[in-house]
Amino acid sequence: MTATSTPVPARSLPARRRRGLAAARLMRLELSHNAMLWMLPVAVAVFWFVSYRKIMAEPSVWDLRASDFQSGIAADFIVPVVGAAVWMGSRETRRHMTDLMTITARPRWTRLLGAWAATTIWALVAYLICLGVVYGVTAHEAAWGGPLWWPAAVAAACLPAYCALGFVTGALLPSRFTAPVVAIASFFVLALSTELITGSQSYWQISPVVTGPWDAGPDLAVGVFYRYVPDLSIAQLMFLGGLAVAVLAAVALPGSARRVRYTAAAVAAAGLLAAGTGVRLVGTGTLDAHGMITIAALHDAASDRPIRFTPVCSRTVIPVCLNPAYASSLPAVAAALNPVLREIAGLPGAPVRIVQVAATYQQGTGNDVSIGLTGGMPRGEPPEFQLVLPDEISGVPLTTRELAGQVRAASGPKLIANLVGDGPGASQAQQAVAAALSMAARLPVTSAEISAAAVPAGREVHSRRSACSSLTSASCSPAVLGVLAVSHSEYVAAQRFAALPIAAQCDWLAHHLPALRAGQITLAQLP
Amino acid sequence: MTAERLVGRRLAPAHADRGVRAVGLRMIWLHVVSRRVPVALAALAACGIGLRIALIGHWDAYGALQLPLICEAASAAIVTATTASPLGEPERVAGRWLPWLRLGAAVTLTAAATSALAAGAVGGHLAGGTLDVLRNTAGLVGIGLLCAAVLGGGLAWVGPTAYLIAGVYGLYAQWHPPAVTTPWLWPARPAHDLGAAVCAGLVFACGLALITARGARDAVGE
Repeated sequence: MTATSTPVPARSLPARRRRGLAAARLMRLELSHNAMLWMLPVAVAVFWFVSYRKIMAEPSVWDLRASDFQSGIAADFIVPVVGAAVWMGSRETRRHMTDLMTITARPRWTRLLGAWAATTIWALVAYLICLGVVYGVTAHEAAWGGPLWWPAAVAAACLPAYCALGFVTGALLPSRFTAPVVAIASFFVLALSTELITGSQSYWQISPVVTGPWDAGPDLAVGVFYRYVPDLSIAQLMFLGGLAVAVLAAVALPGSARRVRYTAAAVAAAGLLAAGTGVRLVGTGTLDAHGMITIAALHDAASDRPIRFTPVCSRTVIPVCLNPAYASSLPAVAAALNPVLREIAGLPGAPVRIVQVAATYQQGTGNDVSIGLTGGMPRGEPPEFQLVLPDEISGVPLTTRELAGQVRAASGPKLIANLVGDGPGASQAQQAVAAALSMAARLPVTSAEISAAAVPAGREVHSRRSACSSLTSASCSPAVLGVLAVSHSEYVAAQRFAALPIAAQCDWLAHHLPALRAGQITLAQLP
Repeated sequence: MTAERLVGRRLAPAHADRGVRAVGLRMIWLHVVSRRVPVALAALAACGIGLRIALIGHWDAYGALQLPLICEAASAAIVTATTASPLGEPERVAGRWLPWLRLGAAVTLTAAATSALAAGAVGGHLAGGTLDVLRNTAGLVGIGLLCAAVLGGGLAWVGPTAYLIAGVYGLYAQWHPPAVTTPWLWPARPAHDLGAAVCAGLVFACGLALITARGARDAVGE
């Protein structure tokens, strides 16, 4: 065996091992002496008090809960995480150990990155606890769909960025006042930056608390009727990742070797570029018809395809069919509409099915969003009545009783109006028949001559002629869709018609509905 | 050996009172400087100025309610950060007047914080008014003082900052159920609510008593 053929003992291997062991030991020390470990219960408790109870009070729809989870983590974690990161960043100065640490073998930036990584790991542990509970409970309760991971990813990406901001501030400005001031200033910027959002093209939507059109409320159709569009999430991830990288690279700039400084400067520039690109992309966002922010440069057209589902239907005379995600609402909705359905079933032009559809969204001025009814009019052959549930529009969870009341108030009159052709420009006979059918279905009807005192308290009277064609949270909501108001003569004719035997009513309607819809029947011709 | 004894030995009786006063003032000054009170006063003034500038802008209902609370929490966190002692045990052993100095510093800084915020609100519309500022700031300072006694002066900011998020949520819940109506979440209650004022006052009194009697805990580890 010659010297050249003798296998060279891998002397570098133990060295590498030692380096690896040293790094692991450093990380273990940082993890066990980290302020974020003690802030972990605080962060989880704040999340439980502020966000968890709110999330669990909402319907078990994935989009709703995932969006609120993202906003909740972003807002609830910022103060404890930034505060702990500042505290850790200022540790060497606070303990008067700067000189001692300067002479150690490891460069300053690797020491600091180790402390930052440990802080981030503990923050992520707290995040994972919250994620596991929220997603676990939702998976248990949700009747439809699966977990949305984009909001969870944005929430996770917040934490390294928060840690980086806090850590670098603490390292550069060590003071007893830095931690509270920076933590509260971060919360101020995050919470009140949303005040500056105007429209779907606002750059401020880059804030991780934003998950969709601001002030429009949550969209229950996402993940139910249409796929989650991740465009905004991708831009937010670019921003948060870029910000974290750029800020961390700044740690290596002072006091490092020239090569490290150049590398750090390049990394910081790349981070800033990514963050800036994210902001720029958010500025090109538009609100799509399904209530999500789309960004043309990031958009995948496949996301626009509706989700296929087999509806769950009631056993009423006209079946009421809802998305499986709303299966728990089906008995209430069917019971609310059943009196109306019984009146119109079998008549010419009556729908054969009531089918739930998604609401459509349209950006108005500022932050106004018009949430409209795609349905209402029977479509297709045989005709189907398209129904939008009130909580799809308001985004507010409703009790079963509230849901039933609003469905009845909003869709009952519309079913009858569609049947008799009532609406703007309708004849007196059409209004009278609509009123008669409404009386039979126990929907409220009032004569215009009757004083307002006769109207139940808290309800508004809307003429059919000015019925809302679109619903927004500010101007017109199902809760105020009102009582059918007709003239005195129409009211008298309606009472006369309603007094007929049911068989006579059906017979007359079966023969005269086409003419009634065409406006060819006068009030005097009504039986 | 206390300051009075020292002065009494070295100065003539005619100058004793003046000497005692001078030493007392010096002791107060040293205490104040060691706790970074001048910096805290500057930071409190900055909070007042920040509030004044912010009130110039147009805020919606959420922002108008949250803004004062954020400034109050910042002020309270600054006040409680002054409880940390750089001297530790030697000062505790030698400082006979230390409890009174701690009490005086906490009360004075709380008054300064309230005054700075109230002054910052002059000429602008402050949601809740000065009474709200007084109640919220006192309660938040109380939480911070309790945290200082338990966690140490350096980490005393944890209490007021965590409570800030709960308070902001309380304000938010006024519009979005489930509403939080407990008086222990006083920022969410109207300014004239007696229960909230009592709770905030109680927390402030407890914090003050504890910090006066025991001072901030000397943190050994993180």
